[in-house]
Amino acid sequence: MEPLLLAWSYFRRRRFQLCADLCTQMLEKSPCDQEPDPALPVSQAAWILKARALTEMVYVDEIDVDEEGIAEMILDENAIAQVPRPGTSLKLPGTNQTGGPSPAVRPVTQAGRPITGFLRPSTQSGRPGTIEQAIKTPRTAYTARPIASSSGRFVRLGTASMLTSPDGPFINLSRLNLAKYAQKPKLAKALFEYIFHHENDVKTALDLAALSTEHSQYKDWWWKVQIGKCYYRLGLYREAEKQFKSALKQQEMVDTFLYLAKVYISLDQPLTALNLFKQGLDKFPGEVTLLCGIARIYEEMNNISSATEYYKEVLKQDNTHVEAIACIGSNHFYTDQPEVALRFYRRLLQMGVYNCQLFNNLGLCCFYAQQYDMTLTSFERALSLAENEEEVADVWYNLGHVAVGTGDTNLAHQCFRLALVSNNQHAEAYNNLAVLEMRRGHVEQAKALLQTASSLAPHMYEPHFNFATISDKIGDLQRSYAAAKKSEAAFPDHVDTQHLIKQLEQHFAML
Amino acid sequence: MAETKSMFREVLPKQGQLYVEDITTMVLCKPKLLPLKSLTLEKLEKMQQAAQDTIHQQEMTEKEQKITH
Repeated sequence: MEPLLLAWSYFRRRRFQLCADLCTQMLEKSPCDQEPDPALPVSQAAWILKARALTEMVYVDEIDVDEEGIAEMILDENAIAQVPRPGTSLKLPGTNQTGGPSPAVRPVTQAGRPITGFLRPSTQSGRPGTIEQAIKTPRTAYTARPIASSSGRFVRLGTASMLTSPDGPFINLSRLNLAKYAQKPKLAKALFEYIFHHENDVKTALDLAALSTEHSQYKDWWWKVQIGKCYYRLGLYREAEKQFKSALKQQEMVDTFLYLAKVYISLDQPLTALNLFKQGLDKFPGEVTLLCGIARIYEEMNNISSATEYYKEVLKQDNTHVEAIACIGSNHFYTDQPEVALRFYRRLLQMGVYNCQLFNNLGLCCFYAQQYDMTLTSFERALSLAENEEEVADVWYNLGHVAVGTGDTNLAHQCFRLALVSNNQHAEAYNNLAVLEMRRGHVEQAKALLQTASSLAPHMYEPHFNFATISDKIGDLQRSYAAAKKSEAAFPDHVDTQHLIKQLEQHFAML
Repeated sequence: MAETKSMFREVLPKQGQLYVEDITTMVLCKPKLLPLKSLTLEKLEKMQQAAQDTIHQQEMTEKEQKITH
């Protein structure tokens, strides 16, 4: 078979490695390795095809990629207002008018947000308030930020992709004459994507895009969007905004709306982003990604009811949208409707989602919806599907809750222990174990466990409150007061904490 | 039978005071639904894992070569 046709066929069947190998062979036969010879259209085609195949191998949707490193978060000077008014910022999750779910019902993440039903690269980070909190964040899959700056992951992926090709990189970027490629728009686009996604060399990509947009006399919206993407990666948000706006004037595209909204979110202007999404919806009515963007912003602003409304809107357009189903499901679970949540998670199962998280959620929903026959089998399945230790720990932790619910404290004790065996940073398991120890009358052990829990997760109110209760019982009022104050800081509306503080203050006043 | 049934009567005190003591109990952390991962995240993690594996393999082969030399 004609090798180029075969390579093309591999590409269309997404066998990128085979495609790239075949193209390499073809390029070895013809002399032009570094630069395609215009006289030889076949080798030129092979060259582009190889660049595209290599790009596709590491391609990640740029809209979804939004990871903030510690450096970006702490040294963030881009937010317009450092002390924003309530309801206008993503940084102050607790302050919204509608009142989000209470932490007494729905667990919170490190950043003080209620846990979400769906993880994206950007939901992982959250914005910690202080440098101390940022560094302390445990490196688990749920709050993971194993990188010092956002470019870290991209650079590492870039070097890794180079490692896989033993005779050096496919295209030697420093030897490229960018001006020449900018003259050929079709070639330039493939080359740009290669540089941007595969090599992760944003500066060179930006140079190429700037030259190309000049060559097209600033009439090609595509190049403007690419320049905007480069500026965004470089952290030049205002410049990126200009490019995206200019691109939107030329040609309205859903992607461009999404990129522009990303810029506004980075600038901590959720309301502007919301307006932009609504403008986008006027142009593209019922567009799922735009609706989903609105829902995400509401969720991050802790306005769960509005978020759910928009997620439902998403489902009206696309009833297989995993994110929407998962978010609505978890919302139902935490608003005391596990039966409804069960239906949503079952729907996901029917759609072919088959992983540890889903079975764990199914197990929990079954248990709280009193479908006891399915509970344990779901958890067994979840355990067998778990991919890492953190997942195992979470499943055991939830199993511990089932055991507590059935009154089998011995089993619960074992479950929480097993959770800690898999992940000894599991603060919730420490706290629950402490409660069980206290029931057995082991005060000292309970205190030690609670101290561990509160140092691991200072954002949770439970360990602080429990510690305050124990200390109060054994007469250590000073410590009790300190812990109660911490609990109040984590969850200001907790009635029991307020009672305890009032009681203690009365005691102190009597002295 | 009817007589034995009527022997059992509920006791509802109509006089006296009712005491309710509010005992603070310890709180358990709540059950945790695990969030599902988006495709992008899964792909990123897979790519990172693959990259780490290749680097690890290369390091191993280099070590082996050093030992044999």
